Amino acid sequence: MLSTRDLVVGYEGRTVLDGLDLDLPGDAFTVIVGPNACGKSTLLRTMARLLTPRRGSVLLDGAVIRDLPTREVARRLGVLPQSPLVPEGITVADLVGRGRQPYQRWWRQWSAEDERAVERAMTMADVAGLADRPVDTLSGGQRQRVWIAMTLAQDTEALLLDEPTTFLDLAHQVEVLDLLHRLRTERGRTVVAVLHDLNQAARYADHLVAMRAGAVVAAGPPREILTADLVREVFGLDCVVVPCPVTGAPLVVPALTHTSPVPAAAPAGAPAPAGSSVGDA
Amino acid sequence: MTSTHAGARSASSVALPGRSLLRIGPVTVQVRRRPVLVAGTLFLLLAGSVVLSLSLGTPYVAPADVLRALSGAGTPYDLVVLDLRLPRAVLAALAGAAFGVAGTLIQGVARNPLASPDVIGVTQGAGLAATVALTGGAAAVLVAPAALLGGLVAAVLVFALGARHGLAAQRFVLAGVAVAFAFRALTEVVMLTADPIDGLRAQLWLIGTLAGKGWTEAAWIGGTLALLLPVLAWAGWALRSTALDDDTARGIGLRPVARRIGLAATGVLIAATVTAQVGAVDFVALVAPQVARRLVRAERPPLLCAALLGALLLVLADLAGRRLFAPTQLPAGVLTAAIGGPYLMFLLLRTRKRGS
Repeated sequence: MLSTRDLVVGYEGRTVLDGLDLDLPGDAFTVIVGPNACGKSTLLRTMARLLTPRRGSVLLDGAVIRDLPTREVARRLGVLPQSPLVPEGITVADLVGRGRQPYQRWWRQWSAEDERAVERAMTMADVAGLADRPVDTLSGGQRQRVWIAMTLAQDTEALLLDEPTTFLDLAHQVEVLDLLHRLRTERGRTVVAVLHDLNQAARYADHLVAMRAGAVVAAGPPREILTADLVREVFGLDCVVVPCPVTGAPLVVPALTHTSPVPAAAPAGAPAPAGSSVGDA
Repeated sequence: MTSTHAGARSASSVALPGRSLLRIGPVTVQVRRRPVLVAGTLFLLLAGSVVLSLSLGTPYVAPADVLRALSGAGTPYDLVVLDLRLPRAVLAALAGAAFGVAGTLIQGVARNPLASPDVIGVTQGAGLAATVALTGGAAAVLVAPAALLGGLVAAVLVFALGARHGLAAQRFVLAGVAVAFAFRALTEVVMLTADPIDGLRAQLWLIGTLAGKGWTEAAWIGGTLALLLPVLAWAGWALRSTALDDDTARGIGLRPVARRIGLAATGVLIAATVTAQVGAVDFVALVAPQVARRLVRAERPPLLCAALLGALLLVLADLAGRRLFAPTQLPAGVLTAAIGGPYLMFLLLRTRKRGS
């Protein structure tokens, strides 16, 4: 449902994306991964029309997103930026209610449908019990769920999230990712997220996009494309890819390097440190 | 104060508390209980303080007689109440309301509780033009139009300097401070090179006073506010999203830059108009939005409450200026700071205690 055609994006002289063509499947959880500064956030922000491309276009169901009224886009595409600013003292219910903005006008400020959507969104993100609390008194994990609830209140078919798990501890990361997974499976939403953690990407993504230096290196289901070769090509890291003991998804384990702590007794079958003889598992 | 509410609510019923919908034809407005209560209380206080300011003075007129005079019953006090005191009280209320509105708009765009027409250069622009007019021997009727023009020129400069980054909060304030300093320096030069008597008149103008002013000035301010009423209805709604960052705002379908420009332009237009008529009484613009915000306990200053509070503050300040050291009159500009400053301090101390 989201695609890019010949997309060129840059900041003041530096070109980040140079002629990118990409098609993201609808009804899927797509995760974009890649090393720092590879352009993954730039891609997400451009698809969310937060950045204007120098050339090329982003297509939403075939229509050029720049040509659509921003209010209409906001009814079809929710966006959660990387670290949104929490307005001082705003309550959870009020912030989630802001997600109804694309359906409101100053002369039509609130409707029963707005009420229902906010209710649904808060219940879905499990923040209904916090409705009256000021957002700035919440924990990082709760706060992120509130922001997600705001984008859910927008009632969009697709949701774009820029590193939604950064700054959260592991338990809260899993909580947020589980929520995104439920959105996809229970509500049929299209979810696109930039994530840092490859193993989380492999566990949750239906569709994985691996980027390096502003270009897409591979895209497809994680079980098909996530190999040690791909990790070396994309991140420059030697690793072993084994099936995750819990989910069976590919699990990336960095190989030993010359400066890694060497275990007293390496488990049988573990590959030797990189550099001596790197054999892929 | 919130834990009991949160605990009592079950996940299935999330009816948002303390607010209801008001429908007038095609218009649906969300109304919250607390702002309505605060606005109602402020309105009563304002009415009371207007009656008080019509009553106190020499001669003293009993409030009952003030009310009878206002009702048009024809009393021996009509001259004092209706012709001498009423114009000034109405002017104080309208100017205070205008400052409250201007301050709310400018603080919203600047995302800064310290921003006011004074901080972003509008006051200094008006002040420079008025000083030039007063010391240059211009006719008295030209002082206010000149000041309006000066305030707007300053605002245009601030917009031009701040526009490159979409009038982002930080840049808006910095551009304003720069323009304010430049205009203030020029004002000092004009004042120091002028005839001392003219310089003193300019000084008094800059402090801001309602003495000797009345219906004409009130009509200018009231007319401007009335003309802008539809814009203000939009602004009250648009202000609620100025605290969001631009990415989030775009994500929910807003155009934050256009919105900021619209709000800031409305704010400086009102600020320049009212400053041109009554001088720099703009401490009201600084304090009214913040006090109103704390009274309403909202995340942003409420436009209507800030207007009512500004009106109340200026009516009381003008009354105090007239009566405290009678027969000497203090300019209202001095008194607004004297009343508003300590009250803002009190609120800051109180909220910090509650917050901890």
